[in-house]
Amino acid sequence: MKAKSRNYYLIPYILWIALFVITPILLVVYYSFFNIEGEFTFENYQKFFTPVYLKMTFSSFWYAFLITFFTFIIAYPTAYLLTKTKHKQLWLLLIIVPSWINLLLKAYAFIGIFGTYGAANNFLEVMGVGGKQILFTDFSFVFVSVYIFLPFMILPIFNALDKLNPSLVDAAKDLGASGWTTFKRVTFPLTLDGVKAGCQIVFIPALSLFMLTRLIAGNRVITLGTAIEQHFLVTQDWGMGATIAVFLIIAMVIIMLITGKRKGGVM
Amino acid sequence: MTKFKLSSLYLIAVFIILYAPIFYLIFYSFNSGGDMYNFEGFTLEWYTEIFQDTRLLIIVLNTVVVALLSAAISTILGVAGALAIYYARRRQTKNALLSLNNVLIVSPDVIIGASFLIFFTMIGIKLGFISVLLAHIAFSVPIVVLMVLPKLEEMSTSMIYAALDLGASRFDVLTKVILPYITPGIFAGFFMALTYSLDDFAVTFFVTGNGFSTLSVEIYSLARQGVSLSINALSALLFLFTMLLVIGYYFITKKANKPNGMGVRQ
Amino acid sequence: MTEQPIIRFEHVTKQYDNDPAVLNDVSFEIERGKFYTLLGPSGCGKTTILRLIAGFIEPSKGTISFNGKNVNHVPANKRQVNTVFQDYALFPHLNVFENVAFGLRIKKMKNQTVEQKVKEALRFVNLEGYENREIKEMSGGQRQRVAIARAIVNEPELILLDEPLSALDLKLRTEMQYELRELQRNLGITFIFVTHDQEEALAMSDEIFVLNNGNIEQSGSPNDIYDEPINRFVADFIGESNIVSGTMIDDYVVNFTGKTFECVDGGFNKNEEVEIVIRPEDLEISSPVDGKLRVKVDSQLFRGVHYEISCYDEDGNEWLVHSTKKAIVGEEIGLFFEPEAIHVMRYGETEEEFDKRLEAYEEGSYES
Repeated sequence: MKAKSRNYYLIPYILWIALFVITPILLVVYYSFFNIEGEFTFENYQKFFTPVYLKMTFSSFWYAFLITFFTFIIAYPTAYLLTKTKHKQLWLLLIIVPSWINLLLKAYAFIGIFGTYGAANNFLEVMGVGGKQILFTDFSFVFVSVYIFLPFMILPIFNALDKLNPSLVDAAKDLGASGWTTFKRVTFPLTLDGVKAGCQIVFIPALSLFMLTRLIAGNRVITLGTAIEQHFLVTQDWGMGATIAVFLIIAMVIIMLITGKRKGGVM
Repeated sequence: MTKFKLSSLYLIAVFIILYAPIFYLIFYSFNSGGDMYNFEGFTLEWYTEIFQDTRLLIIVLNTVVVALLSAAISTILGVAGALAIYYARRRQTKNALLSLNNVLIVSPDVIIGASFLIFFTMIGIKLGFISVLLAHIAFSVPIVVLMVLPKLEEMSTSMIYAALDLGASRFDVLTKVILPYITPGIFAGFFMALTYSLDDFAVTFFVTGNGFSTLSVEIYSLARQGVSLSINALSALLFLFTMLLVIGYYFITKKANKPNGMGVRQ
Repeated sequence: MTEQPIIRFEHVTKQYDNDPAVLNDVSFEIERGKFYTLLGPSGCGKTTILRLIAGFIEPSKGTISFNGKNVNHVPANKRQVNTVFQDYALFPHLNVFENVAFGLRIKKMKNQTVEQKVKEALRFVNLEGYENREIKEMSGGQRQRVAIARAIVNEPELILLDEPLSALDLKLRTEMQYELRELQRNLGITFIFVTHDQEEALAMSDEIFVLNNGNIEQSGSPNDIYDEPINRFVADFIGESNIVSGTMIDDYVVNFTGKTFECVDGGFNKNEEVEIVIRPEDLEISSPVDGKLRVKVDSQLFRGVHYEISCYDEDGNEWLVHSTKKAIVGEEIGLFFEPEAIHVMRYGETEEEFDKRLEAYEEGSYES
């Protein structure tokens, strides 16, 4: 008896899936087989395996790795300490709020802070280090990215820590484990899912960010995302752009397989 | 006790770093000096400039219209989607639908933008308002589904049987039992969709055409030209607006007494 | 008694912030090799005592000593005590073997020794061959055994069990009660068992501590506590009781429900107001003329082993009777009981006074 009513809900939803999930992906794959003149070819794939593109892919992964790594290093202790505070939900909310502020505005703020006469340089001069070029460097790119992704990493780790049964920690202590051993053997392994989820939501966008590379890194850093944007919107070579997109999708699928198909609590 | 102090210090440092750039921006929006370096004097000049800029006001209007429309439509689609997943009887169907649902959530914006660009061009939709609206609806639907589905799942099935037992038709069950129950989830989904739309830059950047722009895209092109304090003023206003949304969202989810309702946006 | 107690609490108080004390000036000793039970309703402080012994929390006042040494500030991981948690607290990311081996690995024991000890511990709890199972593949009762094996493998001097059977169904619970008791005898380790289930406490323990509101109300063997409850709370909490107020006319003579009865209690003031306890199973149904009390049957439930009959006397006191004989609802019946069935309780008597009084009159009583 449910069968019929179920179909009604499915119609618009399936339509949405077909039009906006499946078709676009198929189109990307389809376009990757055409060159700029519109001829069917494998040229794009051959081009992707030339040193230029491989180097770009490698550096894109390297930066994404650095960003994920530093975000994790800062996020885990933060999440851990947050679970120990009173009113932890309120503190968590305060951590999340900056993530609700338009990404571009945050990037823009750093143009001011890291600029030649900005707050960061003033600070360095006061400290006696002297002014430095900060904006348009690798450092500024990684720093701003970490800043932007931090809440996304904190949230899943916080949730995992918060869900951890406290008697497990008691049990480890009871069996003679010191604080550090308890963390290493029990707390961390049991919150690994949260860490994986966090890494997943940081690493994939870090591969594909393009506005940050333009605004903060001054085109010094080219990520896969920057390259896609470049090909689609600047050089109009959609075929090559689509090819890079295909590889980005493959990378994404691999990362999701590695970090497990955990869903929920990720958003 | 020293351990306690160290950990508080760490948390405080994280909070300062998280909030400093935002307040830095807002602070300089009152600078009469014209740059983000030397605070020369207090002025509201940048705010008045914004309100006199008709082009900018039109962009704001565009952004709001797209956000409201896309949020409303994606909420309807999303609720239907959540019901479709909820009613799917076979486990595999359910999982398949959920996986497809999550594709757009985990996909990087660039991929979504580029693939939609190809799609809209192929079927001949002119890049502009319609394409941006469609794109925003498309990427908001899965978010609404994810906000509504948990509410449906936590609803006890015996409640539905009770309604049927009391003589309700299937339509009655939907309108009188299910929808009222999942209302908090629907509201949360709507708010999330709204903020996703307001905040989106990358997808819009790909699928917008000449003559149609949203705030994020406008900020990007302004920022690429360097510092302009009207952006600061704009960001201060947006910050205020975002805070209002956050507070609104917070109270809605709080009413739904679901502690994990709060989400980070991407 | 010359042997040093394994655990000694001296005037221990535990208080959080300015809330009322969870544990209020509690003193007691735990002797080696016995099975102890901390019994009381939820919130009585029994789990707090357990956590204090385990070292998860520190006392606000007083001293806790372990083998004569003050351990107030010794953290949990430095104590030779192991706990079986209420929710078992098994590590979900480790299999059965590694769960049991956890404590041994922390001590950096050789692999060979670890393997041998874990196998032995698993054999003790009848879980041979389950080494490689994941925790989520184990049933509730099996998890329980893993948790016990994980505790005993470390050869602690003391094992703490925090309501370990509460998550099991009735049949399994009874089974585990036997097993735990036997395990304790075989190992010879001291067990401290926390429960709110009085039947469980009576069945398993050498010694029971009855707790209420952060105080120990009474301690003693299951028999002592059942037969000689110190006050209304204990009488009510342990087993079913009929409790009425009465007057102690003289030693061995008590008056209640307007009649005077012979009893075996003494050491009271003349005409002291007291409370009387008679257990339902000590009441026998007789004809109205032969009975010491005359009551009317109000309702009756069949409980399997006996009928539970609720009666009221003329003064409106309820009398619960456990009888293998059936009664007829609405009928007048008599209740007969022996003088030994009457237990007299003094208002507000401390455990110390109670014990002293008991000793004093028992010397001269015709029973002993």
